[in-house]
Amino acid sequence: MEADDFTLMEQVRRGSPGAFETLVERYQRRLYRLACGYLHNHEDALDAVQEAFVKIYLARQSYRPSAHPFTWASRILANRCIDQIRHRRVRPEQSLDEAQETRQGRGPLPLPSSEESAQTRQERRELRSVLQGAIDTLPPRQREIFMLRHFGEMRLEEIATALGCALGTVKSSLHRAAAAIRDHLARTDPALRSPKGESS
Amino acid sequence: MSLLYYGVLVPADKAGLLRHLDSCGSCGLEWDAIRRCLDAATPETVFPREAEVDWREFTRVAVARARAAEAARPATAVASGRGRFSLPWGATFPVPARMALLAAAAVAAVILWNTGLRPGGAPGGGPASPDSGVGGQPLASLLESAHAMQDRLARRGAARYLRDSRALLVNLVGPGAPCRRAGGQYDITLEKEKSRQLLRRMNLYEGGLGALEDQRLSTLVRQLESVLMQVAALDDCASARQIHDLREQIETRQILLRIDLVTREMEGRADVV
Repeated sequence: MEADDFTLMEQVRRGSPGAFETLVERYQRRLYRLACGYLHNHEDALDAVQEAFVKIYLARQSYRPSAHPFTWASRILANRCIDQIRHRRVRPEQSLDEAQETRQGRGPLPLPSSEESAQTRQERRELRSVLQGAIDTLPPRQREIFMLRHFGEMRLEEIATALGCALGTVKSSLHRAAAAIRDHLARTDPALRSPKGESS
Repeated sequence: MSLLYYGVLVPADKAGLLRHLDSCGSCGLEWDAIRRCLDAATPETVFPREAEVDWREFTRVAVARARAAEAARPATAVASGRGRFSLPWGATFPVPARMALLAAAAVAAVILWNTGLRPGGAPGGGPASPDSGVGGQPLASLLESAHAMQDRLARRGAARYLRDSRALLVNLVGPGAPCRRAGGQYDITLEKEKSRQLLRRMNLYEGGLGALEDQRLSTLVRQLESVLMQVAALDDCASARQIHDLREQIETRQILLRIDLVTREMEGRADVV
């Protein structure tokens, strides 16, 4: 039977063989999505997640079971991402590889499957662009809460603990975020309008 | 309704809301709209490049890096915290202690100077005026000189560190030594050991590098650390694929070119300061 997150983290602390690998496998994708939400860059997000795992491993003895392991891991990642964002702000022109990474971001897209029509691909690209635009327009706190819940799959209580705010604040922020995304999409993407909107 | 979507309503509230949605047309449409939008925001749609990642390899590298970081840590655990600086003999002090040390050194210099130890000065010479500092130099100027010297030493240390790292990376990029043992293609025993040494040195320098407040240097050092950790985590006999991946990282990020640029800048500024 698969160990729950708390048991797994305890095994990581004790140094059980394979425990850290399992933790990485279990969390890596969710952490990657959170990192993308902060950094908006695929390569930077992968780097940030790698570095967060190094920090998690080095700091495993300081983990206390009062917080869910993913909550704890996501705070380590968030701090890493915030540091990186600060660095960008301090010296935005500094990085030679930023240009490189931007170029990579515009690199060739993965080859589409032969069954997928050009129209479907175009629709998916548009939907992605609209969704990313909608998420980007959220205020930082709302965006963070939305990302943690929607893509990090964290419970609201865990989000409140992780962000140090009241559960009510998390609920209201999530509600506002969802409403804002709905409004943004309804304005920009006809396919996602309500049935009433479609008929009109 | 978003709370209903995320399944976080208590059962009584959920049942009440569902009843209302059944009976209220406009709320029903609103619920449909929210559900469609949130359903559309799937990871595959919002993070399309997630599918490009080889997550098994990612796990392997993350675990190897974590273990390498721990392996590099014990010797320098004391000196590895941020906000610390190291003296050449390895002792470390937190940043506030650095200021206190500098101030104490300056005060001691003033006292020694005014009690007749001034080179060429008259023994037992009269005390200097309270605001004059040493030899007529104000205290602020003394502290400034001490800072400048520290800055210059840190820049020279950084330049030396980058030069040594560059030599290692050039070895990796160049033709590798064949491995005699089975299971690998390139013998990287020396490179691994050198990487560990460089990681330990970086931990010692960390406070000094932070004090330089040079973002380009710290970004480069961070990326260098990532490569060094990966090298330190490899087996003594690495596969061609592993070496290829490292080379690709070094080339993609133009690490060698950037080391050259930053080293030159560090050396130039170390001479000027």
